[in-house]
Amino acid sequence: MEKSSITKRLGMIGLVITVAVMLAIACATQKKASLTDGSAAEEVYVPPGSYDEYYSFFSGGFSGQVTVYGLPSGRLFRIIPVFAQHAENGWGYSEETKDMLMTSHGFAPWDDAHHPELSQTDGVPDGRWLFINANNTPRVARINLSTFETEDILEIPNSGGNHASPFVTPNSEYIVASTRFSLPIPQKDVPISEYKKHFKGTITFVSVNPDDGLMDVAFQIMVPGYNYDLAHAGKGPSNGWAFFTCYNTEQASTLLEVNASQNDKDFIAAVNWKLAEQAIAEGNYRTMDVDYYHNYLEHGSRTTISENKKSVRILDPASVPGLIYYLPTPKSPHGVDVDPSGEYIVGGGKLASVIPVHSFSKMMTAIENKEFEGEVDGIPILKYQSVIAGEVQNAGLGPLHTEFDGKGNAYTSAFISSEVVKWKLGTWEVVDRIQTYYSIGHLMIPGGDSQKPWGKYLVAMNKITKDRYLPTGPELCHSAQLIDISGDKMRLLLDFPTMGEPHYAQGIPASILQPKTTKIFPIEDNTHPFVAKSEREAGVTRDGRDVHVKMTTIRTHFAPDNIEGVKVGDRVYFHITNLEQDWDVPHGFAVQGMNTAELLVMPGETRTLIWEAKKVGVYPFYCTDFCSALHQEMSGYIRVSPRNSSITLSHNAQR
Amino acid sequence: MKKLNLIIAILFMLGFGWSCSSGDSNSSEQPAQQAANNGLSQWELENGIGPVKAKMTLNAVDSELAASGEKIFDMKCMACHKMAERYIGPALGDVMQRRTPEFVMNMMLNPDEMVKKHPEVQKMLATYMVPMTFQNVSEEDGRALLEFIRANQK
Amino acid sequence: MNRNARMLMLIASLLLVVPYFVPIWEITLEAPQYPEGLGLKIWIDTIDGLNPRDLDKVNNLNHYIGMKEIVPESIPELKLMPFIVGFMLIFGLLTAYFARPALVYSWTVLFIIVAIIGLVDFYLWEYDYGHNLDPTAAIKIPGMSYQPPLIGSKQLLNFVAISLPDIGGYSIFIAILLGVIASYTTFKSSKNKTRISNNETAQDADSGTTARRTATTDKLHAGPGAHSIRS
Repeated sequence: MEKSSITKRLGMIGLVITVAVMLAIACATQKKASLTDGSAAEEVYVPPGSYDEYYSFFSGGFSGQVTVYGLPSGRLFRIIPVFAQHAENGWGYSEETKDMLMTSHGFAPWDDAHHPELSQTDGVPDGRWLFINANNTPRVARINLSTFETEDILEIPNSGGNHASPFVTPNSEYIVASTRFSLPIPQKDVPISEYKKHFKGTITFVSVNPDDGLMDVAFQIMVPGYNYDLAHAGKGPSNGWAFFTCYNTEQASTLLEVNASQNDKDFIAAVNWKLAEQAIAEGNYRTMDVDYYHNYLEHGSRTTISENKKSVRILDPASVPGLIYYLPTPKSPHGVDVDPSGEYIVGGGKLASVIPVHSFSKMMTAIENKEFEGEVDGIPILKYQSVIAGEVQNAGLGPLHTEFDGKGNAYTSAFISSEVVKWKLGTWEVVDRIQTYYSIGHLMIPGGDSQKPWGKYLVAMNKITKDRYLPTGPELCHSAQLIDISGDKMRLLLDFPTMGEPHYAQGIPASILQPKTTKIFPIEDNTHPFVAKSEREAGVTRDGRDVHVKMTTIRTHFAPDNIEGVKVGDRVYFHITNLEQDWDVPHGFAVQGMNTAELLVMPGETRTLIWEAKKVGVYPFYCTDFCSALHQEMSGYIRVSPRNSSITLSHNAQR
Repeated sequence: MKKLNLIIAILFMLGFGWSCSSGDSNSSEQPAQQAANNGLSQWELENGIGPVKAKMTLNAVDSELAASGEKIFDMKCMACHKMAERYIGPALGDVMQRRTPEFVMNMMLNPDEMVKKHPEVQKMLATYMVPMTFQNVSEEDGRALLEFIRANQK
Repeated sequence: MNRNARMLMLIASLLLVVPYFVPIWEITLEAPQYPEGLGLKIWIDTIDGLNPRDLDKVNNLNHYIGMKEIVPESIPELKLMPFIVGFMLIFGLLTAYFARPALVYSWTVLFIIVAIIGLVDFYLWEYDYGHNLDPTAAIKIPGMSYQPPLIGSKQLLNFVAISLPDIGGYSIFIAILLGVIASYTTFKSSKNKTRISNNETAQDADSGTTARRTATTDKLHAGPGAHSIRS
């Protein structure tokens, strides 16, 4: 064979190889996402008629509500309306509930709910209440976990963006709140550019009455005008302290994404709330005139009592030495999480490449030895090296939040690298990591922020879902992912979509909540001013242009179901009492042309809807919740006569 | 037409209840009799199923107890029952002639199971269409209600 | 320059039409949050995204780390490149037409130089984007730079950046490769031609015996090819 043809052939082969290699490189970069293994389906399968092992409570984010899911199935049981009107059951529309949404800014029918937090006894979730914060118009709410109903909403004065909230102390003595957006305190008309001069933050401790759960602003601490982001209370040895992250120590008021990201370290504020209690007891505080609302359900009438409050107690760190210390923490820390032992305080520096872990005992020693590197407004800054216990290296990009399994492991969500990173407390070594789909924010282990985590499952809450579900146009669901953490390796078990943005969640074994669920409201105990405890008490009365209809419901009729003598221009109050005393038999009520939402009336309660009689005619009303085989028959009429009609008010309820 | 459908549906349900309870029955004695009675004993057929499992001893009507029974009756019963005439449910003015006191008690205290299992109550359901609801009546309240009903017999 | 070489030059030139219609280079960025893919396509005269609006997305991501915005209009090379490739295209066609070995050699050498300059220039742009970062950026990681690889893959924070030629780029490489082959065969055959013409002039023989004689005179007339180029 001739040499030249060999060379030519080699040339051609070379060309083919070159192209093949390039294609191979291109192919190799097409990675496949690892999915679940074969037994995952069995592990999340809760057969029809069986119960889930855990209740979980997810914040509804910008829906303003709380959702209740079962774990491990991921089944949605209920939406608990909290900070937003909920037409489905009349929450925030009915006369009994609309005042729950009163604020010093007037009626606020929406808010941004962020962090559900279970009440605790001895550092363990006790299943009495669930608290949740409203970020926009600063508020905290308390949900009763027997009725799964919001029964208390407290506005936080002197605050903007209540984000670091409502984290609870180990015996639910307090829940905390603080300013994500600092403000001029008291509010005044100042140039925004003079932020550093005028703007302040507050850290608020809200007391929780141990008997009935009623909340009140116990005291507020005036702090430098940073952005206070998240919090967690100390526990065990650190009980009596609460920890708050803050960023924007640059005190920027514009383009925060750049201007608040310049300092290498911001702070975790360690607040000694036992000392604060002492200062209050000693009278070492000042009072400040404010304007805020406290709205709560009165139990007998199940009607909101709305109180306008005018004063709070303020503590100034400069006049209470030792009240607050700042722990320098890298790069705009977001989450601050205290491990079950109460010794380690984990910061989630969202722009940092390591996870800093502070030591409570080192902090106490450093305070004793005055190892300070500076001071802000009377708050000493501790030396980083004096308080740091360790740094977790290679912990993912954008670490945000950490929860614990009670077996010496910590689990941190990494937003940018979309993963959960498992690491060991004490050795700070990363032992496992698992991808999430996609962009995880918070994560949750039932009891994972308490002293006794139930470390079997972890739920990742993801901001981006893209290709994970069938598409639904531009707006897609947020999503949760259930991860098994019972073994050495984390295993993805299940994806399920969530409502709104599930910022954070809490979980608790079903065995704690299930036995104490409320089934009915005893009709004997109903003290509503317009209750009709029997059909004999039902009827219609006129008070000027207001017509009060006291109506009862029972399967399958209204009493009265024919009402006459209403005239154009009347305001008709339908006070509906559900006489049923059996579980799972609510009745609904709607009347044609009403300008509000329906009523969904639970057994034994009374709910009121206002209907304006605008036009002459006869208008039907009916039950909206399928209640029995004769539900379709459950209806009635209201007749509206001209203003000058002589027809007298009448009804057909039995006497 | 609608009513007819409903009756058919109810008959179907009765049939289903029959086959279901005969399947559950362990007793091999008199299976046909057992099936016809939905697996209930003679005592249960007469006195109903529920917390009252023994014959009650009733004295003359206690008017005080009957008065407290009336209050409960207004709140929990009168939406569906009248003494003199049929309303949503049957008239109660002659109920003591038709039923034993134990049956009346069990009907108030345990209506769900009675509707599901008792052939007499299932017959009533076919007549009245609406199943009797549980009104969270305690045994004590039931006793007072019984006294009120006894006091108002024709 | 034989017929095969002319054909190769024709194909090489026509291959240079391809970059006007498809991208020459592709940089993809892989991260969990972008299951649909994210990346840039470099065309002969512009830069755009793997998917529509990817360039905007990349620029938006880059602002976190303080990278300059990529604005295709501000890159002069993208204005020059269509002319350079166009010049090589026409040059190649003329080479195929006139079939002068000198043209083949100079086309090939020139194109290799142009390609090297191009890659070096590309590297320098990448270096500039990757290192010249805004000191006030939100995310600053000491010692971290964000220069994508010239060719191959590299981890940049949560992204795996993969830089590879695209069809237009492959076309250019194949064109150069064809130029090299054409030059090589031309060089080989021109040596043969020299020998043949030597034989022809010396012996004025008929074509039937030429081949045999060529073989036999191989050793005698072996020498540097430079003087044998036909003028």
